Amino acid sequence: MIPLYGFLEGDTIGLLVLGRPEDTAADLCDKLQAAAAVRVAPLRNPVVVYRGDPVPAHQTVATLGIGALERFDVVEGRLR
Amino acid sequence: MERSDRHGGFALARELDWTFSYVDEDQVFPPEIAGRPWLTGEAWAGWEEPYKTSYGEYVRKQRDKDVAVAAVREAVGGAEAYTRTGTAPEWLSGLKLHAATLPLAEFAATVGNLRGARFGRTSDWRTMSLFGALDEFRHTQIPLCLMHDLVRWDRQFDWTWRFYHSNNWVAIAARHCFDELLLGTDAIEFAIATHFVLETGFTNLQFVGLAAMAHGAGDKMFEKMVTSIQTDEARHAQIGPAVLRTVVAHDRAYAQFLVDKWFWRSWQLFAVVTGFAMDYFTPLAARVQSFKEFMQEWVLDQFQASLAEYGLKVPWYWDTFRESLDYYHHMVYASAYTYRATVWFDFVLPGPEERAWLAQKYPQSWPSLDPVWGRITQRWQEADPGNDFAVHGTAIPTFCSLCQLVLCSGTPRHNAAVFVERNDERLVFCSEPCRWIFEKQPERYQSHKDLVKRVLAGEAPANLVAMLRRYFGLEYPEWGKDALGGVYPFIERVSPRAKGA
Repeated sequence: MIPLYGFLEGDTIGLLVLGRPEDTAADLCDKLQAAAAVRVAPLRNPVVVYRGDPVPAHQTVATLGIGALERFDVVEGRLR
Repeated sequence: MERSDRHGGFALARELDWTFSYVDEDQVFPPEIAGRPWLTGEAWAGWEEPYKTSYGEYVRKQRDKDVAVAAVREAVGGAEAYTRTGTAPEWLSGLKLHAATLPLAEFAATVGNLRGARFGRTSDWRTMSLFGALDEFRHTQIPLCLMHDLVRWDRQFDWTWRFYHSNNWVAIAARHCFDELLLGTDAIEFAIATHFVLETGFTNLQFVGLAAMAHGAGDKMFEKMVTSIQTDEARHAQIGPAVLRTVVAHDRAYAQFLVDKWFWRSWQLFAVVTGFAMDYFTPLAARVQSFKEFMQEWVLDQFQASLAEYGLKVPWYWDTFRESLDYYHHMVYASAYTYRATVWFDFVLPGPEERAWLAQKYPQSWPSLDPVWGRITQRWQEADPGNDFAVHGTAIPTFCSLCQLVLCSGTPRHNAAVFVERNDERLVFCSEPCRWIFEKQPERYQSHKDLVKRVLAGEAPANLVAMLRRYFGLEYPEWGKDALGGVYPFIERVSPRAKGA
């Protein structure tokens, strides 16, 4: 498991998300939105942003090279 | 003032400094603990605080104040004061928050003041610091005494004493700040950071505001306690400007650094404790102004005027600070509400009237914060009354490598957390000012693990309930809940089961 810092647009706090190398960006979206569900309703078109850029939903943690304790954001896609 | 004190060689005794003959001055006042810039005694000769007092005057005034506090305790103290008057549950939460964070921090301030009483560079500074130490010991004892009366009635008040002895996340953050501020600084940094920034800039005025709020909420005991403490603070805080004046004259850049560093560190804890109290824990009918309005009226204007008086600038992050007035304590409160079992006091859900008030007071930020409360309210509509964990977070929150508080800076649209690689370690800071403070003095901070790092190192459990019980020291009767069990007149349950049928 890879501990990651996740920040969901609309939320008030960053959360620790445990990812796997084979998790896709879509999986990270689901995990972070589930973790923040008590405060934030699901986004309509969530997109993962890593190192300032949106990443395709099918890309995995391994292929993106996301390391332990790195930051990713999940934002509403229509804003981009 | 009693004339006999002032006729008995008061001025001579107040400024009785020795010329050392068989040791050097820097052996008596080593720079490591007396502070820098290290200056000869002559450089400090103009040290002057306006609030002069003699020991005799001090003892008599303090006795009178203690008698007054004891009389209020006798008349309106104890649990009856709160049960009889039907005190709002949110006010009690604010009381528990202040009661826990105040007294043992004041005890640490006793130690800091004693450092000034020994290593302050003039005899009048040392004398004032000795009075300050006595003040802070009094500020330790009064809340411990008053809140002890309430422990049998409500176990959460036991955290008045237990808080700083625990590994609760708020305690870790408060210790990180106050241990450095009150126990780990030299006499000069202590005087500027504690007396000038924290006390003159924040807490002295905070106590005035809290007393007004307590009056509005009908809490005479708390009102008397903070009023009594504030009068001490107003006196010993005068040490700060007197020290700052000399430091600015000899090393303006260092004075500016200390102000910039400690204003930010003080602000964050202040925002959590007092921001919660003013905007959420004071019943709506008793609120006289918002936390932001209080900050603008009492802190910003006066602090900026004080800085200008000494030729200093506002801290470099002033725009970030001003933006955080609209967001920071709101983001921490919403987050903490959904992690309320991790603390020792209960929370209230802001209803339509409170949210309308907040929208009016915070027109810039509330539109992005209100949806969070809409979502939490919806979760309660779908949950059984009293089922706190149906409306509670389970993921591990994240913490700043400097302040140890949760990563709640910035806005809901963009969290301001900053990531830095340092010596093969990944650090995260809630904000640019926290990163800047860490990188200015990494040797002070780099060995401290935040809560996430403790979990990952196996030093703290990852399971939430295990963390609450084994690491934070909270048991079910004590840990925070929704004060009304999610039963509010404005919540319409959506299913028969959730209605409690």
